[in-house]
Amino acid sequence: MALPNPAVDKVPTGYKYGWNDPEMKPLHVMKKGLSRETVEEISRIKGEPQWMTDLRLKAYRHFEARPMPTWGGDMSQIDFQDIYYYVTATDKAVQSWDDVPDYIRRTYDRLGIPEAEKKYLAGVGGQYDSEVVYHNIRADLEKLGVIFLGTDEALIKYPEIFKEYFGTVIPANDNKLAALNTAVWSGGSFIYVPKGVHVELPLQAYFRINTENMGQFERTLIIADEGSSVHYVEGCTAPAYTTASLHSAVVEIIVKKGARVRYTTIQNWSHNVYNLVTKRAVAYEDAVMEWVDGNLGSHLTMKYPSIYLLGERAHGEVLSIAFAGSDQHQDAGGKVIHAAPNTTSLITSKSISQGTGRTSYRGLIKVYPGCHGSKSTVRCDALILSDEARSDTYPYMEIDEDDVTIGHEATVSKVGSEQLFYLMSRGMNEAEASAMIVNGFIEPIVKELPMEYAVEMNRLIQLQMEGAVG
Amino acid sequence: MPVQAPAALDAASIEHISQGEPNWLGELRADWWRRVEADPWPTGAEEEWRRTSLDNLPRDGGLLLDAPLATYDLDPQLAARGVVFSDLGSAVREHGDLVKSHLARYDTLPAQMPFWGRSLAAWTGGIFLYVPKGVAIDGPLTARTVLPSGAYTYLPHTLIVLEEDASATLLEEVSSPDGHAIWFGGTADVQVGYGAKLRYANLQRLGDEAWRIGAQRVEVGQDADVTTLNAEIGSAISKVGMDVRMTGKGGTSRLLGLLAAGGAQSIDFNSCQDLIGSHTTSDLLYLSALYDASHASFYGVTRVRPEAKQTSSYQECRNLLLSPKAGAEPIPVLEIETNDILRCGHGATAGAIDPVQRFYAQSRGMSADAAERMIVRGFFERVVAQFDSEPIKARVLESLAARIGTTEEAAA
Repeated sequence: MALPNPAVDKVPTGYKYGWNDPEMKPLHVMKKGLSRETVEEISRIKGEPQWMTDLRLKAYRHFEARPMPTWGGDMSQIDFQDIYYYVTATDKAVQSWDDVPDYIRRTYDRLGIPEAEKKYLAGVGGQYDSEVVYHNIRADLEKLGVIFLGTDEALIKYPEIFKEYFGTVIPANDNKLAALNTAVWSGGSFIYVPKGVHVELPLQAYFRINTENMGQFERTLIIADEGSSVHYVEGCTAPAYTTASLHSAVVEIIVKKGARVRYTTIQNWSHNVYNLVTKRAVAYEDAVMEWVDGNLGSHLTMKYPSIYLLGERAHGEVLSIAFAGSDQHQDAGGKVIHAAPNTTSLITSKSISQGTGRTSYRGLIKVYPGCHGSKSTVRCDALILSDEARSDTYPYMEIDEDDVTIGHEATVSKVGSEQLFYLMSRGMNEAEASAMIVNGFIEPIVKELPMEYAVEMNRLIQLQMEGAVG
Repeated sequence: MPVQAPAALDAASIEHISQGEPNWLGELRADWWRRVEADPWPTGAEEEWRRTSLDNLPRDGGLLLDAPLATYDLDPQLAARGVVFSDLGSAVREHGDLVKSHLARYDTLPAQMPFWGRSLAAWTGGIFLYVPKGVAIDGPLTARTVLPSGAYTYLPHTLIVLEEDASATLLEEVSSPDGHAIWFGGTADVQVGYGAKLRYANLQRLGDEAWRIGAQRVEVGQDADVTTLNAEIGSAISKVGMDVRMTGKGGTSRLLGLLAAGGAQSIDFNSCQDLIGSHTTSDLLYLSALYDASHASFYGVTRVRPEAKQTSSYQECRNLLLSPKAGAEPIPVLEIETNDILRCGHGATAGAIDPVQRFYAQSRGMSADAAERMIVRGFFERVVAQFDSEPIKARVLESLAARIGTTEEAAA
């Protein structure tokens, strides 16, 4: 797949694996480009009910009608007619380990990731040796009545519950990229947690190995019924290699009365990917919704997880961490809409830019009239590690109610020379000292991650810093 | 969607204004007019124009040709030392070369260009202050403009030039009677040279149906020190764009704002603190007290250029919402293109008076109203205290009294 992408040419050292090799064997995929026929074909291959085909076509018309956003990152290089919209999992396995770029393989080695997992992450291995674990988890969940399936499978197996919720949080006519996803979606996770059920272990897409979970246009739908709770983890800290240049996922979450959902994403796509994702949750009375969102990879990410607080005393949190190295732009943030009284929210963003990287925090707090007693705090901190790096903060606030407490604060700083000097005087080299300072900076968010992710995240920062200094 | 430029302003009226003026000025006006005619009128899609609609801007009134009565106080001894302080028209007649070398030399923020250009083409009033090298003016200079009744368009331009090591303090005040839908498009071009020091307060007391569409451009030279204060009290709609250019190494700016709004008033500021020179400092503090169904918007950008090393900047916007219908949209944006910064940050808040403060004041025997007045005055004190001129502070507080009350009332 020869996709025009400036980032590909700038992949660090030793790049010789033929992404652009004209001799490379073509994949068995649908032809490139998007049309009404492509959309119908995808729906036909999947054997979907008519309503889904109609919804896809409706979304396709919205996608066609809408202009590209002119704000955020530079998306001028995306050519929608030069993209494959449907690739089956078996076709994906055609890729060979040799095609995985050197820098990604090196990172795997340095992180100490086992061989099988490496291949899985790189999209080479279709299976991963955790089947036993996976089956045990699945049996436990079934006893509780929890549904945890691939989204395609859920549409066929649970058509009623699926139709009741799908597209209700992010409708087909939402933004251009969400409309694209609705038209061509494939893969993703479907989770339904019944009333009062607490899922103790985090559910990870990782374990759901029988469906493609690194889809280009994945679609995830999570419903937490009244009084239930669940933690879902998507992605992983180690870099994930994909040949697809556009990743446009949609995630919809419904948190019913008194329920609690935490959704953790660590995105570390290879540096050829445009990662344009729409994530939105609705939280009803006394519900709690938390997004933990980490962005390390991709060429450009534009992602602003949102929470609509629709019931009284609902609470929303967004913890966002972004790391942009050279040729990367992380345009991330969060949105909270207070649409009921006594709702509360907290957005914490930590971003780091290095080399020629750029991080942007973009967020919105909106309080509708009548939502008295609402409280919101937004805190953004940015660390700029190099002279050519850039950091932006775009915090929007629309407050139409007086009985509220809304605050925003942001700081931008560099690694202090005194801090560095102190650590180096204690025997560290500059890279170690910088990595320690950066790890301290992101600690408030890393401590919210599952432990294995937190450990990996700290090691990744260490690796990045070794490249940055000296 | 194409938007028609106002009919009351046209090439013929620009030519009419130019009669009796020096040729260079007629050409300058005509040049600016050609530019604004060629440039688009804001569509509302621009970030700076999303929160103020120009649909109902009163554009049908004719241009106010006779500069309204303004008062200027200047010590004759200062005039003897080369200080010029007068209306801009008189300055053109009496100090033509001086005005010519400083007038209309710069563009401002793209969002404000349609109004900057119209004012430079069609000004019929405004202030000219020139302070020569090394001259320090102790007391405050004041220029008060009292606008007549009627429905008209008035686009005065104020030009302030401080040469090397000069210093001055200026209060510019404008008022108009209630009940008249005027378009007041005053602009200001402030040029502060090497080591000079300026305190500039702008007090807006327009009538309740007036529209104020303003633009201010401030250029801060090397080691210069500038404080601006915008006190916004009147008007139906006020939209001001501030373009603060920290070009000289080591320059400092303090940008202060006090917004007291009631009724259905809408006050909308956009600012750009552009840190271009190294070792510059720019701090912004805008406070609003919003009563009734009033609304305040603030869209401020701090930009630190790659070559601007060792800068220090802060943006702070706080909104006190004093009625259930009041609203605020503070949007403090940072665009930082270097890591070699000393300090950079922003803070924004919106909310009601802290009930604990209110309770405390009432527990000491104050009525609810008196407690609110005292707390609002205390809230504004952070800005008032930073403006380094007692007479101007007193004048601003006196003007604010109609909206936020006085200390005497508070104590009663």
